Amino acid sequence: MLTRRPPWLLRRRFITTNTNPKPISKPTHNPKWCVKQVSKSNFSETLKNIKDEILQSDYIAVSLKKTGSHSAPWHKTLSIDTPETAYLKAKYAAERFQLFQFAVCPFSVRDSKLIAYPYNFHLFPRDDFKLGMPCYSFMCQSSYLTSMANEGFDFNACINEGISYLSRAQESIARNRRGNPVVSKLIESSSAHSVADTLFLGRTKSRVKSWLSACKESNTGSEDALIRSLRKLMVGSEEYGSRPCLRVDVCSERHVQLVLEMLKEFSDDVVPLLIRAKGGGIQAVQVVLTSSKKDKEIFEREQQCKEEGENKRVRGFREVIDLISASQKPVVAQNSLNDFTLIHSKFLGPLPPIMDEFRTSLTTSYLKRRFFAPIDVEIPQQVEADENKNHGFDVVRISQLFAKICSVLKVSPQSVEDASSAFKGYANIFNAYSASSDDHMEEDVRISTDHQQKISTENVVFVWGFTVGTSARMLRNQLLTSHEAFSEEFDVCLVDKSCAIIAFWKPNSSAKFLEAMESGGINRDSLSNLISEGLRAADYETYKRLCNLGLWEVNLADSLDNALAADFDGHTEDSHKASTEVHWRNTVRINIDEI
Amino acid sequence: MTKKKQLWSLRPLSQTLTLIYRTFSSSSSSSSSCASTSTSNSSFSIKNVTKSNFDSALVGLRQHIRGADFVAIDLEMTGITSAPWRESFELDRFDIRYLKVKDSADKFAVVQLGVCPFRWDPSVSSFVAHPHNFYVFPRQELPISSPYEFMCQTASLDFLAKYQFDFNTCINEGISYLSRGQEEEARRLFTNLYDNEFLESHSSFKDIKDKGIFRMADVLFTERMKSKISEWRNGLLQVRNGDHESQDSTKESVKQFETIFYMMRPAVKLHGFTSRQLRLIQLVTKNHFKDLAYICVSGDGTSLQQLLVYTDSINDKDLLMTEVKGSLHKDTELKIKNAVGLRHVIDLLSSEKKLIVGHNCFLDLAHLYSKFIAPLPSTGEDYISSIAKHFPHIIDTKLLLNNNDVFQVLKRKRSTSLAKAFAFLCPEIVSGVKASRSAFKPCIKVEVQVDDTRSSNWNSGAKHEAGYDAFMTGCVFAQACSHLGINFESRITSSNLALEEKLQGCINTLYLSWINGDIIDLMTGIRTVESSDSSDYKYRHSKILFSNIVLLWGFPSKLKAAEIKECILKVFGQSSVTSIYHLDETAVFVQFIKAELVSDFLDLKATLERNNDPISVLHPLSKILDGGCTCAANYEVYKEICESPISEMLFADQAEAIGIKWKTKMFAPKPEEPHQETSGPEDGQITGSNPPSSKEFEKLVSVLDGLSSRRIASNGLEDSLAQAQIGR
Repeated sequence: MLTRRPPWLLRRRFITTNTNPKPISKPTHNPKWCVKQVSKSNFSETLKNIKDEILQSDYIAVSLKKTGSHSAPWHKTLSIDTPETAYLKAKYAAERFQLFQFAVCPFSVRDSKLIAYPYNFHLFPRDDFKLGMPCYSFMCQSSYLTSMANEGFDFNACINEGISYLSRAQESIARNRRGNPVVSKLIESSSAHSVADTLFLGRTKSRVKSWLSACKESNTGSEDALIRSLRKLMVGSEEYGSRPCLRVDVCSERHVQLVLEMLKEFSDDVVPLLIRAKGGGIQAVQVVLTSSKKDKEIFEREQQCKEEGENKRVRGFREVIDLISASQKPVVAQNSLNDFTLIHSKFLGPLPPIMDEFRTSLTTSYLKRRFFAPIDVEIPQQVEADENKNHGFDVVRISQLFAKICSVLKVSPQSVEDASSAFKGYANIFNAYSASSDDHMEEDVRISTDHQQKISTENVVFVWGFTVGTSARMLRNQLLTSHEAFSEEFDVCLVDKSCAIIAFWKPNSSAKFLEAMESGGINRDSLSNLISEGLRAADYETYKRLCNLGLWEVNLADSLDNALAADFDGHTEDSHKASTEVHWRNTVRINIDEI
Repeated sequence: MTKKKQLWSLRPLSQTLTLIYRTFSSSSSSSSSCASTSTSNSSFSIKNVTKSNFDSALVGLRQHIRGADFVAIDLEMTGITSAPWRESFELDRFDIRYLKVKDSADKFAVVQLGVCPFRWDPSVSSFVAHPHNFYVFPRQELPISSPYEFMCQTASLDFLAKYQFDFNTCINEGISYLSRGQEEEARRLFTNLYDNEFLESHSSFKDIKDKGIFRMADVLFTERMKSKISEWRNGLLQVRNGDHESQDSTKESVKQFETIFYMMRPAVKLHGFTSRQLRLIQLVTKNHFKDLAYICVSGDGTSLQQLLVYTDSINDKDLLMTEVKGSLHKDTELKIKNAVGLRHVIDLLSSEKKLIVGHNCFLDLAHLYSKFIAPLPSTGEDYISSIAKHFPHIIDTKLLLNNNDVFQVLKRKRSTSLAKAFAFLCPEIVSGVKASRSAFKPCIKVEVQVDDTRSSNWNSGAKHEAGYDAFMTGCVFAQACSHLGINFESRITSSNLALEEKLQGCINTLYLSWINGDIIDLMTGIRTVESSDSSDYKYRHSKILFSNIVLLWGFPSKLKAAEIKECILKVFGQSSVTSIYHLDETAVFVQFIKAELVSDFLDLKATLERNNDPISVLHPLSKILDGGCTCAANYEVYKEICESPISEMLFADQAEAIGIKWKTKMFAPKPEEPHQETSGPEDGQITGSNPPSSKEFEKLVSVLDGLSSRRIASNGLEDSLAQAQIGR
């Protein structure tokens, strides 16, 4: 039934009748999908709502709006990429570009109804706490900004009102940098004390004692104000809030330990706070005096709340990511490799240099199950996106698409366990091969699913240095007579305007051809002619290497030249178990208009 | 429009409307009916220029610039530095400074350009200023090159947002541009495109023919088209003969064959064919229909619309082809002209050779050069010699204020920032009332004209809006000129202000870096350090010997500058290190007292790393080398690292990213670059990571031996080592 009826009709029914907590404040003329827009001002209230919805829903769809994707045609994931090179490309993009919108949609499917709670979070990496984080600078592609502008995106609101965030890695750095006092537990005396330790202990202990007695005396209130303040000055008493405190400077972690041990003796009244130095490490222990056991409890709780509140503010939008992560619900995303590298680099920490580490880092610390909606299913285009100024529809489309696939596959997605068996093939797989470009989805995908053949990377050769403007066919014709390797079946296709790949369908042909290129085409006039005109060739390893080295020039030819030039002693052979097969599409071609 | 009218009527109410005003008034030319002169405290809006009113604004601006005595400019960018370590440091040599400016101009985008021509109007004895505020956005309007991308510095965007910068207007309505290089590329692209379509026996035909395999599908398609075209042509002739036969049969292909009139001739518009199909159609037309012409006219962007046009005769056909080519050419030129966009303004400034006035404008000029003229050259010298060709007269108000005794008051107050200088020098413009407390009298009057509205004390711009900043800069300059004794009343207005004798000390000299008072003369390329009283804290280190500097990075992250210094002092003696600067948390400059210590230090480090024995471990330097990632090199490597287009956040990561694999290296400075300040006697003599000579090595080992044997008497140890190091 779902598949027969126009899906947006269904959707409208759900959303208008379901329990979507707050219909969007701006009433729009056509009440279609209401995506709640979240920015700084309504973030904390939204957080409470979305928490419940994440817990109650079966799946969570996410969709991201970025400031750019790939800087050159060959930087996008191509069919010739191995998972490893695809990851390196995604990593490069994730590290450079920024997120402006993060749409989250917890959803469940019940009796072929999709119940969805779409939210669209507006983000801006503002340095709210003057920590130099989360992001010093980022890249923008004007075409991306222009198309966002065409959709009515409000950049002013984004920059002024966007929610900031810190990644997990940044949060721990921030904790050290901010230097807020942290309550510490008192510890039992442990190891034996050295002479220096004893000296230090004795000195601080007597200081603390005299301070304590001074405080208690002044409480009796018999002295006049002048003497009281003089005394305070002498013992070095300060105030922490309304409570008196004493600052004990420390030089090492050992000192901290000693001070905490020593304070055990006074544990009924005092609470130690650790003060961090700017560059990390502990600078001092602040001893706060409380008036009673109860007061001490109150103080400790106060401090804890303060710290928690502070952390929450620092984390910002990452709270949502943590909620999704903690819920362990399957996450549905499209074009997941790019999205998840971005999520990892913005909200977890720096991306590891190789794919395998990325995968383990993501699964151990984070989102457990992911499903990838294969993108060669048509996404129903809705008209309302332009009519009301709402954003984040993609996320609803993804959940809708997912529901549709469920019904097509005759899966009941009500329970995650059932579904996951059917989706086994898709879970936790990064669709590295999809030439996924937001704008040019239509024809490429369909063509590509037809003739896909696997070819070992050994049989792929990169050639460049031909005249720009040469077509694959012209190049093929030129090559045809140049070497006997081309007497067997082979294909040529352009990767970008500067570089092409040759796929040899017969093993060893590639090696022979490369050898001939290496020797300068001796005894082969047409080949040496081509070489003298500038033709160069390299194997697939060179391509892998340039991705590893991060030689992301605009033209692949330049990158290949640089990779050959780069002295390569420090290379660790870590790619042994990496897949050595890539997909070859007969029909892969570069659309000149696209370049 | 009505909204605007309302706002106009509200104008006298208050200045609080100014902000709302700014957002609504992208073009206020239409409401110029209320032309007036000299209203008090007027707050009409600055002239905002966007895509929609650019052409008309350009016409006006051209007149204003031609008549101007000088033109003040200002830019707003998406950022200044791409990484913290790329900020300006005291220990930056001239070539490094230029590389940092270049990096900034290469990476960031200009989002606003303020241009404000000033003309002396003798009739009212005041300047007339025409502030223009151009919104800029580097949109890719022609499909040339790779995608446009630029960097944003988060803090800069936040800063702009604080001053109500309108990003929406910028991105939606900003004016795009092509640099000269891009314009040429675009022209080449169009020429190629048209050549491909028009050359009769060109390669595309060859492609089809050469293959020899006119595939079966091609043959069928060709036949089909032949009959379709002849059907259409016959139908056409019949209509001409007055026979109105119904054309039901062609209905299906109506989408692909749309009949129109082109240049007074009947024509078919060809829709939805692939390029191969179009080539086949072209072939068929050529071979079988002598009175039909296959032509292309320009559509949107670079796309072309293919037409089949019916012509009466061969002559008519030739005529048509000429017309088509002519109009294509004209369209192309128009498209390119539109895409050139904002560069017209820069070209205007350059061709009129007017005096350009900016405030601390070295970076601004670098942006103008890189965006509108050409990519920035790789060396500062090349840049300097090139910029003078395009902008022959430039003056920097910050430098002008700092270098003339007349303005010592300002300087002492450290208030040569634009806003402060403006407030101080032009109090009448700021407050709109005659100020009595000004130290500088008389105040030069400045009238502002926006379209036809004019005011003598206009003050409705906002700080850090490029147009208003340009206006302030110009006012400060006019005022400064008057204090320097330039009398505008008596000046011959036609003479070039740039040649004024009293300005000669400042003309074409810019702050390369304001932090250091590094000044550069754009005409000669000569660099000087600002003369100043020695008490000024900034110039304590005015003479920096770059050959005395070691760059150290990748050391243990907790190590602070003081600890590093202490370690080095232990080895090389208490007075061996002049100073230590942090570039960022991962790198420091160590400035030694003399150049030899640089190579000594590097040699010692290399030796210690090679001999991983207990002696090396106990060495005082091992604290710095701990972790095994510590790298060190002399100053030259800093240049290499700054040259790279990569910008990692941390310096140590940057060094790794540009492919530095060694740990210790002494770079020879490039011989073709004379560095005035670097005059170390051993410069360039020790190369590469060569191990120290055997003699030096022996000496070192003996010291280390001594060190280990006298371990217990630890007190005098480091001193002896240090002496051995220094004494050789």
